[in-house]
Order: sequence, then structure tokens, then C-alpha cells
Amino acid sequence: MSTLSLRKSVCSIFVLTYAIIGIPLWGKLTNIYRAPLPREYIKSLNNDKFFDVHVTIPVYIKSDVYKFPDIHEATQIQVNHLLDSKKQNVQWSLEILQFNDTFIELEKEQGREYHIVTLQLDEFVGYNAAYDSKNTVVYFDDPTVARNDLPFFVAQTLVEHTFNVEWGYLSNGDLMLDKHSAVAINYNPDIHLSINLLKGDGSPVDWEIEETLKTYFTPFRRFLSPLVNFTVDTSVVYFNDLNLHSLNNTGNITWTDVSHTIDLSELSSMNYFSEDSALNLAIVFPSKETNPEGFSFVKAEGEQTWESFIVPQWGVLVINKMPLEANTMVSKDYLDAVLYKFANDLFELLGLTTESESLFSPVITIDSFKRIRTLQNINKSVETLWSLIKLTEQFQQMAIPKDVLENVKEVLDTRLDIVEILNNPAKGDDLSWDEALNLSNKMVQRSEEAFFDGQMLKQNFFPQEHKLAVYMPLIGPITIVLFTGFISLFKETEPKLIEKEKSLTEEEKKEVEETEAVGAIEGEDEIN
Amino acid sequence: MSNSITTFVLQGLLLITGLVIATDESLSNTETKDINDQKFRTIDTGIQFPYEERLNVRPLPHNHLLSSFEFQMNSEPFFPSDSSSNFDKYDHYTIFPKAIEPLLRRTDVRQLHLRFTRGFWDSEEWGRLPHDGFKSGGSGVELWALIEGNSKKDAYKKWKSLANSLSGSFCASINFIDLSKTNYPVFSFNPQERENEGIPLFNSTNNLYLMHASLANEPICTENLTPLLKLLPSKGKSGISSLLDGHKLFDSIWHNMAIDITTQCVNDDSYSNSGECFYEMEANVDVVAHIPSILARNKNPIPKPLGGDDLHCDLSKPYDAYQCFPSPETSEISFSLSDIFGKNISGSNDLSFTHSRICASISENWLATIKVDDGLFGTDDNCFDLTENRNYDIYMESGSSNKVARNDDVPIYVSRSLTGYGQDHGGLRTVFSNPTLEPVRLSYYESLPWFMRIYLSTLKMEVTSDIYQNLTFNDIVESQYYMPAIDRKRSTQLEFIMTIPANCTISLTYEFDKALLHFTEYPPDANHGFEIESLIITILESAPYQLRTATLLLYLSTPDFSMPYNVIIISSTIMGLIFGTLYNLITKRMVTMDEAEKILATRSIKYKVMMLKQRILSKLGF
Repeated sequence: MSTLSLRKSVCSIFVLTYAIIGIPLWGKLTNIYRAPLPREYIKSLNNDKFFDVHVTIPVYIKSDVYKFPDIHEATQIQVNHLLDSKKQNVQWSLEILQFNDTFIELEKEQGREYHIVTLQLDEFVGYNAAYDSKNTVVYFDDPTVARNDLPFFVAQTLVEHTFNVEWGYLSNGDLMLDKHSAVAINYNPDIHLSINLLKGDGSPVDWEIEETLKTYFTPFRRFLSPLVNFTVDTSVVYFNDLNLHSLNNTGNITWTDVSHTIDLSELSSMNYFSEDSALNLAIVFPSKETNPEGFSFVKAEGEQTWESFIVPQWGVLVINKMPLEANTMVSKDYLDAVLYKFANDLFELLGLTTESESLFSPVITIDSFKRIRTLQNINKSVETLWSLIKLTEQFQQMAIPKDVLENVKEVLDTRLDIVEILNNPAKGDDLSWDEALNLSNKMVQRSEEAFFDGQMLKQNFFPQEHKLAVYMPLIGPITIVLFTGFISLFKETEPKLIEKEKSLTEEEKKEVEETEAVGAIEGEDEIN
Repeated sequence: MSNSITTFVLQGLLLITGLVIATDESLSNTETKDINDQKFRTIDTGIQFPYEERLNVRPLPHNHLLSSFEFQMNSEPFFPSDSSSNFDKYDHYTIFPKAIEPLLRRTDVRQLHLRFTRGFWDSEEWGRLPHDGFKSGGSGVELWALIEGNSKKDAYKKWKSLANSLSGSFCASINFIDLSKTNYPVFSFNPQERENEGIPLFNSTNNLYLMHASLANEPICTENLTPLLKLLPSKGKSGISSLLDGHKLFDSIWHNMAIDITTQCVNDDSYSNSGECFYEMEANVDVVAHIPSILARNKNPIPKPLGGDDLHCDLSKPYDAYQCFPSPETSEISFSLSDIFGKNISGSNDLSFTHSRICASISENWLATIKVDDGLFGTDDNCFDLTENRNYDIYMESGSSNKVARNDDVPIYVSRSLTGYGQDHGGLRTVFSNPTLEPVRLSYYESLPWFMRIYLSTLKMEVTSDIYQNLTFNDIVESQYYMPAIDRKRSTQLEFIMTIPANCTISLTYEFDKALLHFTEYPPDANHGFEIESLIITILESAPYQLRTATLLLYLSTPDFSMPYNVIIISSTIMGLIFGTLYNLITKRMVTMDEAEKILATRSIKYKVMMLKQRILSKLGF
């Protein structure tokens, strides 16, 4: 082997080492850790979030007077027919079962309650729902039985009334498109309620709030507790009428003016609740000094001297017309009425009802909302995961710590657990839905922890340019030396070739001779 | 369980229906007025809340005026054992700030003390600090709290959460309090008193941890005052708090804001958690203003030279149209509080039976009167109760303003300073001077940042008085506590209990090394230096007193901040050079000297010119 080819191979080895070992090693050593997230799985989940979900709700049917041995089968056919008539965006169905006294009693002892339909012979055809249990009563008369219309009635009552929440969200509408999302707050299992009595002036006032809350609000809290846990505080705030006194000088005040004037900042800031979301009730009394005649825009009708309205996603505002005298005790009578209104509005603020719809039966509606919230939570956390994937793909330099991966895995596992509960027809009692809701709340929390991991953001502020700037002084000179050497070496040609070329023309030979005469070269390698 | 839920739901619903019926019935009732009376009853005996406020004004020598605002309030009683998720549990707030109580509950704070202080208190001229110094802090922000926790780590976690929340509430950098700034005082902050008071523990398996931290020379301004005013039920809109205005308050020589919250339980057995408890909060605002300069600024908001007629020349010295030595400050003075604070007092506090009260601590040659709307009234004891909802002002005047009500003398003067020079070591010197005829027993609490590495072996004591020449360190110091610093994790904590003999001046000195910080640990303005927090002295005798020295500014060596990049570039260049040489050696052709000379010859200009000449000639056909 000639020296030139040896040198070429040495040079090539250098270049190859640089390219094959050097660059990847540098990349590897200076790169940040990115945990492998299950991208494809999350993508497919995001495309079809409920592909493996089929919510199955067992309903037991019993008849008091007549015995219908096959009523459950007949109803099942009707229910299926009815459900199939609409395109379902989340698969759901009812499983109609024959009433089994001993089973239901045994389960009830363990605190598990099921949906029950009671068939009752009466003069007319109709339905009714109990306030305090998951019991639907269907009234029928003899002609109905003769015409064999009963299964259809039962099916219609169940689908369109008892399960009207599911019917609305899962069959007719979009699960996430809340009709009242503008008013309702995002679902949260723990909500803080702040009840404030605001007074424009500084004269002392007291209220019988403790008694009112204990007699009236405690049962309400207990009742809603499977869905939402409330913590409640009350406060009296002086010298704050939400800036309403500034409307004094304006005539023709409309509600738009009021909503533009209201300043809620002081009530909303400087609070340290451990809960993530809060709802408020503010009972405002004007100042006796600035508004001795009261607020002109509040209409007093009959004995009611206040008006209330909902502030979307914030709470309820109760504005009183007249100011309070000094040393006034606001009595339970007054507060009862205000709290009754507040409790009604709370359903709307929580997204359980809308203004137009009223509650069919509180217990059944709450039970339905457990399922809807569970599904919405699944939807929400899958969307969060997909956003996480998109985020990490967009920012290639963003670190993905192991914790994020673990949270993502936990979310996906929890999702499967929830789907298992939802799909299982054997699990259709209160406690199962509670468990599914709790799991889904945990799932949302974990998915948000994964998305908002502090480590991910921190590393993102260290840009790629920064890295290059630090390494350029080292890599720059080495690369230039290496590659200019490589190129110039490979431009060198073998001397034999040159000689061949020279033998071609006489002129050139002559030139060489002349050169030699001047006293130049006879080396093995030729100059370039 | 489901049964009980059912019954409660039923009750609730019955109540709803009951309510509806009740309202329906009332519609058909006789007169609206009756119903309103039913709904809003006036309590003849009045409604009273545990709230008090008072203002004390005290002229100080050389036309200074100290105004001390005091606000006291209690929270609604609560049972510590109740959980807030209990369906029957409702928290009520009336006058106690809602921003504070949930925070105290969440972080298990039994005592909270927060200080915002700036300026210089001239104790030699003005005497003792207001409230004997127990309501003042060192220059900057100071926070200490007694926190219940099952371990030190748990308590620290709560402390950190407390600091972060307070930081948000008071718009101050309290969130910068971290492990390296937090200390656990042993002798100071009245441990005996704590024992005697029996601070309640809500969980008997827990312990109490006292933690202290301060941010030296933190700027204090209106953004810290506004949150404090919002904590008061009057929101600064009525009563004496209506005087507090940031523009005037911080235009002063010395000002101090303090918040102290303690937990009180009515149960005799303080270690059980069954009793009823409440929080007690005191808020204080103290301010010292120089009256003539404030009056001058009221007159001339933009400073400009006085006209010849307005000049008061010292008549004992030569003066003419071109020359005037200003006369000493006048001792005739008259002003009203609205001059000092820029506002009148609007109304009174109606929330408690004790009305807002203003007292002037003055000597005989002073006169203080209250101005109600347009009339002036005086009282014997110079205390005024604000009873009506009217505008008030206090008018004060004196013919010899330097004679003021005597303030007790300070039992001890302490000052601390940095000694030495250079960037690698320095020293601290603390001078104790006892002007009284009694020995003074005191506690000494000093916290130093970890980058001051002190040598306790160099601790020396010097006595200036001849009669005490034989005094040794051990005669003075009866017990000491020293917690050495850990780099970046803990500060040095030095505590002594010592007795300074009567009429004696003692100085303590020790040396320290200045540590080098990491590159990223320097603050943005590294050349400003590092603020060292005050030394806290507490007199442990029958007349307790607390004082703090001024903060210190320590210079550390600051690096050239472009250095790391320079190092990278230089070392990279060297590595590049070595690599280039080595690479060339390996890949370039090796030739003997003779060959090299031949090659060089062909590269010479002479050769190239010749070649070119030949080429041209051959082209031309020669």
C-alpha cells in the first residue's frame, strides 16, 4: 500500500470516528431525558374516546298486582328498540331484570341501591318517581294490558324520563357540549361555598346564619355529598357594596349597567381555601349614607325586597333594595328564603339542571350525573394526555421525566378500571357508580399532574442555541481541521497517474525535463 | 347509612316545601312593614364584636411626633376537633379577617408575628421604642411563628407554605424565606412565657416549633399597607384607620407595621383538643414624622428656594442680604393630625361598645384639642372618644416643643458593625453599653448567613470601664447556644444569655471568612452587597424590652460574570490546537529534508515565474 492510501485510510478513520461515534455520543451526553410516552395508544384513544365503553345500567322491574313473567324480556326489546332509534355517541343500554326480593334486600343492607320500576294498577296510565329513592312507578290500567302496550310504556318512561340525563347527553347531544356550560363551573369533587353578607356602611349587623344553615343546608350538603363535597364559610363584610353605589348618579339603570359596575374582586381575592373551586353567595345591602333611599333598580315585589341573579361560574348575587338600620339582626325568616333560592341556583351552577329544565327526581338525577361526570372525566383526561403528547412533540427539547410517564400509565390503567365498572352489568348499584366517579376524579388529577409537571417546563427554557454556543468553540476548530485535511488529502492524486498523463504529450515531457533542469523533484509523490 | 341519607333528604325537601308554603302564607299577610320587622329585627342593646382601636400620639424631642395605631380583634370561637367536611360544620367570620384564619388553620399556626419596619429609631433622643420594642422588627421584614407539627420536617413544610401565602397576601418577598434563612430560636422570643401561657396543642402527639426568619432591608411601601388595612373590619374607611394613607405614612423617619396573632383556648386543660378556641389578632402601625418638614412640604410640594422674607437667620451670627445662617429649629409649633396624615378622621368604629379612642401623651407646655366638625374641645386627660359619625381632627400646639412627656430611658444601647477589610475575611464587633446603675440580664440572638464562616475561637471580649477590667467572658455569659451553618442549607445561629454590669461598656468581637458563592447564587445586583439581618437583644428582667441593631451590608468578592464562557473558549481553543497538530502529523505526507527542499524549490516564486515565461514562449512558438 502506498503512503497516500495509508494516509487516506487513516484520515477516513478519523472522519468516521467523528461521524459515527463522536456526533452520536455528543448528542447522547448532552441530550435531555425524554420518557417514551405511549403515543399511538393515546392517539387512538383520543380519536375514539369511548370505543370500549358500553355503559350498562341494570333496572329491576316488579309488579304488585298482576304477575307478568316475561315483562322484563318484553320491556328489554322495547328499550333496545328505542335506544337504537338514535345514534349514540357513547354506547349505553339498560338491562331489564326481573325483581328479586331477597337479592335487592340483601344488597340494600350493604348500602347498594338499584333502579327499580314498580308497575302499579290504577285508573289511568302514567308514571311517577320517588324523591328519596331510585324508584320509578309506572301506572297502568287494564286496557293497556289487553293491548299489550305496557312494555312500551315502561320502556318509554325509563328511557325518556328516568334516564333522561343519559338520553340527553349520550344519545341526543354531545357529551362534552354542556348546554349550560356558560353558567356552570367545571366539575370538581370538592367545592368551597362562601356565603357573604355585604354592607355598604360600617354599622354593626348580625345574622342567624348558623341556625339557618344547620336546619336547611346540612341535609342539602349530605344529599349532594356523593357527587360534590362542600365546605362552607360565612362572613360579614363591611364597607363593600360591590361598587353599586356608583350607579347613584345614573338614571335608567339596566341590568347590563349593574353587571358592568359590580366589582367582585375583593370577595374573590385574598382567600386561602384548600379546595380548587369555589362558589359564592353575596347578599348585598346598600349603605345608609350613600343610598338612604335604597337601590332604585331593585324592584320590590310584595314582601320580597330583594332580587337575585346568577353570576356565571361565580355564584349568586342577592341585592337588597333598602339599607339596614344600625344594630340589625337579619333573621332566619329572611335567610331561609334567600338560601332556598341559592340552593335552587346551585343546581344550575353545578351543571345539574338548566334554567329551562327542572329536576325529575333528585336522587335519580344525581345518580345519572355520576355516570355523566365519570364519562366527562374520562374524556377530559384523555384530552389532557393528548395535549401532553402534542406538547412534547412540538417542543423536541422538552424533558419528559419518569414521573410523567408513571402518571400517564396510571391514568391509562385507571381508565381501564373505570371502563370495567361501567361495562359490567353486575355492577349497577350506588356504590359502584361512586367508585367509578372517584376513580375518574383521580384520573383527571393524575393527568393534570402529568401535564403540569414542573420539570418539563424548567428544562424547556434551556434552548438548543445555548448548547451550540457552549460547544462551538471546541467543535468548530476540530471540525474545520478534520474536514479541510480530509478534502485536501482526497484531492491528492497518485504519482503513477500523473506519469501516464505526462507520457501523452511531448510538450509536457519537455516541460518536465526543463523543470528537472531547473533542479526540482524526483519524489515518489508529485506535487499538486 | 342510606336510610339516614333518605331521611335527611326528606327533611330537606320537606323544608323546601315548608318554605314555599310559608312564603305563600305571608303573601296574604297584613302589612309589608310587619314582615320586614320580622325579617330584620333591631337589637336595642346593640350588636357588639370583640374589636378595639386606639391611637396614641406622643411628641418627641426636636419636633418629632410618634403616632401609634393599635387595632385588636378576636375571631369567632371554633372547636379544633371539628373537621370542615363535617356536614354540620360551618366557619363564620365577622370581624376577624377571612384571609388569615383559613391560612392559620391549614398551616397549624398557634402564634404568628409579622413585622414590616424601615428607618432609624434614635433611642438616645427618643427613649424606649413603642410597646417596649416588642412590636417592632429589624429593618426589613421579619416573621416568626409557632407551628404545631408532628416533626421538624412537617413543621418546616407548614412554615414554608405560610411564608408563601403571606407573601401573596402582603405583596412582600416573604416567599424568599427558605431553609437557609430559617432558624429555630432557643433562648429568645420568651420561651418561659410560652411555657407559662400554655399554648394549646390541637393534637397531643404533636410538638410546637418556633421558627424565625427575616429579610434584611426589604423595602416597605404602600403595597404592604393596603393589605393590612383590608384586614381591618373598617377597611380604613372609618375610625382612626381612615388616617392611614401610604403617601404620608412612608414619608417618615421611622415606620413600623406589626401583626401578632395568638391562639387562645378557654379550656383549662390546654393539652386537650376538646375546648373552644379563638384567634386573637393585634395590628399595630407606628410612625415617627418630623413635623416641620411635613408642614413645609404641605406648603411647598415641590421644593424651591425660599424668598428673602421667609428666611429665619441666626441673629447671633453675621447676616445681610447675601449671607444668612439659618436659625436653630423653632420650638414654637402648631399642627393638626390632618396636616401630618393628609386626611381627617371620618367617623368612629361602631362595631364594639368601646369607641375609637385617641390619646395624646403630652407634657404641660403642650395643648391638645379635638376638632369636631368646626368646634374645638379639650379634655383633662387628653384622651378623646370618637362617638359620632362625624369628621374629627386633633389639633396640637406648644410654645416650647422640646419639653415633651418624659419617656423612660433605654436600659441598654447595643450597636454592631463590620470590621476588617479585604474580600476574604472580616470581623464583627458588637458594643453593649449599660448606662443604668443596675446590671442588665439579656438574651442575644444572632443569625448570620452561611457565607459568613465565623470562627468562634476568635470570640473576644473587651471591657472599657476600669473597674471591670478583670471581667472575663464567662463572667458575662451564663449560657450560650451555637448552631453552626451548613452551606446553602442552614445559617449560623448564635445565642447568649448574658449580664452587662452597671455603667459598663463591653464589646464582643469575632472574625469570619467570606465564602465564595456559586456563579448562579449571586443576586442580580451583586455589587450592592449582601444585607445581614439585625441582632436581636431581649432584656429578661422585670421591665422587659427588646431592641434590634441596624442591619449590615457585607461585601463579598464578586466574580467577573463572563468568566465561565471565557474558560470554555480558551480550553476549547487549546484542545482544538492539540488536535489539529496531532491530526496533521498523522495524515500529512512525510518526506526527507532533501525532498522537502526540492518541493520547496518548485514552490518558489522564481520557479513559478520561469514556468509561466516558458509557457508563454511556447504558446508564441519560440
